[in-house]
Amino acid sequence: MLKSIKPKGWVVAAYLAVPVALYVFTVFAPLLAALFYSFFEWKGGPVKTFNGFANYAQLFSDEVFWSSFWHNIFLVIVCIIGQIGLAFIVVLLINSKVTKLQGIHRTFGFFPSTISAVCIGFIWQMIYDSKRGLLNYFLEKIGRGDLKKVWLNEPGLVMLLVSIPLIWQFIGYYMVILLSAVSSISTEVLESAEIDGATGIQRARYIVLPLIKNTLLVCITLCVAGNMKAFDNIYVMTAGGPGYSSMVMAMYGYKVSFEQSNLGYGSCISVGIFILALAVIGGSQLLMNYCMTDRYDREEAKRLKQIEKERQQAIKARKAKA
Amino acid sequence: MKKKAVSILLATAMVVTLAGCGGSDPAPAAEAPAATEEAPAAAEEAEAPAAAEEEAPAAEAPAADGELAYSGDISIMHFSTSEESEGNGGSDGFRTCLANWQDAHGNITLNEEVLANDDYKTQIATRAAADDLPDVFLLQGMNTISWSDQGLVYDLTDAIKNSPYADQYNMDYLVPFTAGGKYYAYPALTGGTCTVVIYDEAMWKEAGFDSFPTTWADVEKAAEYFSGQGIDTIAFGNSGQWQLNSCFVSCLGYQYTGTQWFSDIIAGTGNFEDPNFVAALTETQRLFHDTNIFNTDFNAISNEDAREYYISGEAAAFIGGNWDASYIQANLEGDPKKDTTKFAVLPQAADATKYENFQNIGLGYGMAISAKAASDPDKLAACIDLCQYLTGPAFSEFVGANYALAGFCSSDVDLSAFDQYTQDFYNFSYVDNKGCEIYDSYVDGSVWSVLNTEMQEMVNGDKDPATVAADTQAAYKAYLGQ
Amino acid sequence: MAKEMAMTKVESSSTGTKVKRGILGVIINFALWFFSLTCIFPLIWMLYSSLKTKRVFNADIAGLPKEPTLANYTKILSNKDYHLMESVGNSARTTILSVILIVLIAFVVGYILSRIDFPLNKPLYVMFLMGMLIPIHSLMVPIYIIFSKLGLSDHWYTLLMPYVSFALPMSIFLVEGFVKGIPIELEEAAAIDGSSFSKTLFGIILPVCKPILVTVAIINVFSCWNEFSFALILIKQRALYTVPLGLRQFTGQFSSDYPKIMAAMLMTMAPIVIFYFAFSKQIIKGMVAGAVKG
Repeated sequence: MLKSIKPKGWVVAAYLAVPVALYVFTVFAPLLAALFYSFFEWKGGPVKTFNGFANYAQLFSDEVFWSSFWHNIFLVIVCIIGQIGLAFIVVLLINSKVTKLQGIHRTFGFFPSTISAVCIGFIWQMIYDSKRGLLNYFLEKIGRGDLKKVWLNEPGLVMLLVSIPLIWQFIGYYMVILLSAVSSISTEVLESAEIDGATGIQRARYIVLPLIKNTLLVCITLCVAGNMKAFDNIYVMTAGGPGYSSMVMAMYGYKVSFEQSNLGYGSCISVGIFILALAVIGGSQLLMNYCMTDRYDREEAKRLKQIEKERQQAIKARKAKA
Repeated sequence: MKKKAVSILLATAMVVTLAGCGGSDPAPAAEAPAATEEAPAAAEEAEAPAAAEEEAPAAEAPAADGELAYSGDISIMHFSTSEESEGNGGSDGFRTCLANWQDAHGNITLNEEVLANDDYKTQIATRAAADDLPDVFLLQGMNTISWSDQGLVYDLTDAIKNSPYADQYNMDYLVPFTAGGKYYAYPALTGGTCTVVIYDEAMWKEAGFDSFPTTWADVEKAAEYFSGQGIDTIAFGNSGQWQLNSCFVSCLGYQYTGTQWFSDIIAGTGNFEDPNFVAALTETQRLFHDTNIFNTDFNAISNEDAREYYISGEAAAFIGGNWDASYIQANLEGDPKKDTTKFAVLPQAADATKYENFQNIGLGYGMAISAKAASDPDKLAACIDLCQYLTGPAFSEFVGANYALAGFCSSDVDLSAFDQYTQDFYNFSYVDNKGCEIYDSYVDGSVWSVLNTEMQEMVNGDKDPATVAADTQAAYKAYLGQ
Repeated sequence: MAKEMAMTKVESSSTGTKVKRGILGVIINFALWFFSLTCIFPLIWMLYSSLKTKRVFNADIAGLPKEPTLANYTKILSNKDYHLMESVGNSARTTILSVILIVLIAFVVGYILSRIDFPLNKPLYVMFLMGMLIPIHSLMVPIYIIFSKLGLSDHWYTLLMPYVSFALPMSIFLVEGFVKGIPIELEEAAAIDGSSFSKTLFGIILPVCKPILVTVAIINVFSCWNEFSFALILIKQRALYTVPLGLRQFTGQFSSDYPKIMAAMLMTMAPIVIFYFAFSKQIIKGMVAGAVKG
C-alpha cells in the first residue's frame, strides 16, 4: 500500500463510483433477486407462493445437488493441476533459452482459449465418438482395440473425460497470464542465477515461483471460481449424462429452472452455488496463503519469535538481578 | 352463392400463389425432399376439385386489411428457422403462411423472433417467468396446465369453437392444449408420429425376414445375424435424454398399460409405479442393456447421429420420429436404399398383453395468445386471425400438397402425386395404425426431466426400473402438489 | 552485459554439458511442438472438414477432402435470415466498446485496490471476488426480469453492461496482482516530483502495466465475441443480433450436418481469429514487453 502519497478521498471515490455502481447493478441485483425468489414456490409465471425455507430444506437433502457439488470439487482439483500446472511448465519451456520459435508456441498455445465453449465441446465429442472418434481410431491403430469404449457413456470415467477438454482449452489462458507475469522478472536475475549454477528446476522453484506468487494466487482463484460454476463445455458434451454422472451444480440449476420450470428451487440452487463457491474460495485462499508462505519465511518468523522471547527473558533476568 | 363463388376463386388463387411461392422460392424448391418436382402441380390438381365440391369454403386467403381493425405491431416467437424448414414440411408451411399473412396485412407489422428449438424453449420459459410473453407464440403441450393456471395464456375456447374452420378441425389434437375443459392453443405445425421403425427391407430380407418382425423375440434373432455381419440391428440415439421417452417408452408403454393408465396420469390420478408401467421400463432396460439389438453408443449420440448410421448402412433399422423420417427421405434422394426403406410400428413385447400396432402421434406445439395481448380487442382479433390462418386450411393444404402431411385442419391428400416413400409414410402415420398419446405432450416438464434422466442410467444397467418409477412418481406427486 | 557473459559461459563449458544441453533442447522443442500442434489441430481439422459434404465427412472424419467444396459456406451466406454484415458490425461494436471499458475500469480499480489504503478497500476487493462466483446460467431469469423491467434490454448498449461487469472481477485481479509486483518507489519518486495522483496513474503506471492490460484485452476480446447466453436473453431485435446469435438462429432443431456446423463456427470465429493471427506478434510483444526493471 502507498504510504507516502495518499490521494484525496473524493478522487478515489470519483474513480470508483461508476464502475462499482455498474458492477453492483449488473452482477448483484440478479443474485439478490434470486435470493428473494428462493423463498418462493415459483413454477415460471406471475404466480409466486411464499414457502419460507422449504427450498433450502430440499436443497440440503438433494442428493443430485450434492453429487454435483463433488463433481465441481473434482473439476477444481483436476484443473488446478492440469491448467495452471501445465501452463507453468509450458511457460518455463517457452522461456527456455534452447527453445526456437517462441512466438509460434505462444500464438498457437493460446488459440484454444479463443474458441467458444460450444466449439470445444463439439470438437471433443468428435474425439470421444465411439465409432468414428479419433481416440478409438488411435487405440485401434496401436493394436489395443480391446480398450475401445463408448467413452462418454462410462459413468466412472466421464468426469475425467469432460475435464480434459477444459484443461486443454485453458492451458493457453493461464499460459498468457503467467507469461506476462514472468516477463516482469528481470532477465538479469535469472541469468545471474544461471551463472551461479542454478539448474532450470532450481531456478523455477526458487526464483520464478516466488516472484510470480501474486499472479499464481490470482490464477488459482480464477481457476477455482471458474470451475465452481462450470457449465458450457460439459453441457455441450454430455448435458450431465449419463444420468447425473457428469452433472455439475450450475447445470443442475439450469435444468431445474428450464427443463423442470421450477424457478423458485432453481434460484435456491443459484444461491447455494454462490455460497458454496465462496466457501471453497475462502478455504483455498487460506490453504494457499499457508502453502505459499515460504518455509524460509516461516522459519524466519519462528527465529524472530525465539529471539524476542530470549530478549524478554534476558530483560526479565536483568530486572531480577537488579 | 355469390359468396361461395368468391371464396372458391380466392381459394384457387391462393393455392396458385402458394404453389408459385413454393416454386419460386429458392430455398424450398432446392431443398424440399421428394415432392419438390411434383408439388406445384399436385397443389393445383388436388386443390381445385376439393374446393369446388365442398360446401364450406375450402381455403380462404388471409382476410383483407379492411376486415381487421387493428394496425400496429404483433410480436410472434417461433422456431421455424429457415434451416429447420428445409425438408421439414411443418416448418416450411408455417413460414410460408406467415409470410402470406404479413403480405395481406400491410398495416400490421409482425415482429418475428425466430430461434432454434433449444434456444426457443429457454427463451420462452424466461419470458413466461417474467410475465413478458410475446403476443403470439408456440405453447408446448406440457406447459398448458401450468401456464393457463397462472393466467399467462388467453382462453381460446370460444375462438376455436367459432372459428370459420371449426368443422374441419381434428379435435383430438386439442387434448394436450386443454386445461379445465378449456382450450388454450391452436395445434400448430404438422401431426406426426414420434415412434416409427424405419428399416431397410433389403437388409432384413437377407436376415430372413420379409418385413420388420412384429415381436422383439424375432428382432433378437435378427440381431444375431446382423452382428455377425458387423452391423447394428437398430440405431438409436438418446444423448438428449428425451429420445428414449418420446420415441420409445411412450409407445412401448401402451403395449403394457393400455390407454387407461396414461389417461389417469393426465387426469392427475395415475401412478408411475403401476406394475404394468414398471414392466414396460424393465423390458426397455432388457432390450437396451441385455441384448445386442442397439448400437452400443446409444446413450452418447443423438438421434441425428443415429439416423446417419442407418443412412450409411451401418445399421439395418432406426427408431425415431417423423422428423427423422423426412430427414432420411431427403438424404436418400437418388439412392436405391430409398426404395427399400419401409416403416413399421414398434415390435410387440412378449409379456405385454394390452395393445398392438400403436404409434404415438400428435401435435406437440400449439399457437397461443398471451393474456396481455388480449386486453386490446382489436389486437386480439388480429392475433386470432393470425393463429387461425397459420393452423387453418391454407396451412393444411400447403403441407398436404407438398409433403403429404396433415395439420390441425383435415385436408384431402392426393397420394398418387407422391413417391412411394411419402405414400408409405402417410399410410403409416394416418391410415394403417392406431394412434396413442405422446407422453411428454402432457403433465409437466418436472416429471419428464426426472424420468428421462434416470432412464438414461437405467438402460446402462445402473439403475433398476422400480427405482426409476418411484422417483418419477415422487416428482409427479410434487407436481400435483401432494 | 549479463547476457553475453552467460553465453560465453555456455560456450566455454565442457563438451559433455554441451551434448546434454543439445539433447535437452531437442526434448524441450519437441514437447512444445507437440503442445502447439494439439492446440492448432482442431482449427485445421475444422477448416478442411468444412470443405467436405456431410456424407464424405461421415464416412471418414479425419481424412482430407478429396473433392473440396465451398457449398457449406455458400449455403450459409446465401441464407436470407442471416444478416452477416449486420451481425459482424454488432459484434465488433459490442466487443470493442466492452474491451475498452474493461481495460480502463480494471486498470483504475485494480490499481486503487492494490495501492490505496481506504476503509472500503477490503470490502470492495471481496465484492469483486464474489462476482466471479455468480453462476449466470441459472440466473438468466432474474437477469432478464431486471433488464426488461427497467427497459434496459434490447438496445445497442444492452450487452455492454453484462459483458463489462462479468469480465471485471478477473481483469481487476490480474491488474491488482500485477501492480503488487511493481516497486512502490516508482510512485514515490513521481510524488516527490510533484506529480498528481491522476497524472501518476495514467502517465507512469499505465505504461508499466501494459503487459497485463494487453493480456486482459486479449482474453476478453474472445469471450465477448463468443458470448451467447446474454445475447440470447437480452436481445430481441434482429437488427441487434451478434454473430453467435445470428448463426444459431438458423441451425435447425434436428440438424446434424457437422461440416456445415463447422463452416458456421469458423465463420463466427473468422474475424477474430484472423485478427489474432495477423497481430499475434504485436499482441505477444505487448504482453511480455515493458517489464519492470527491479
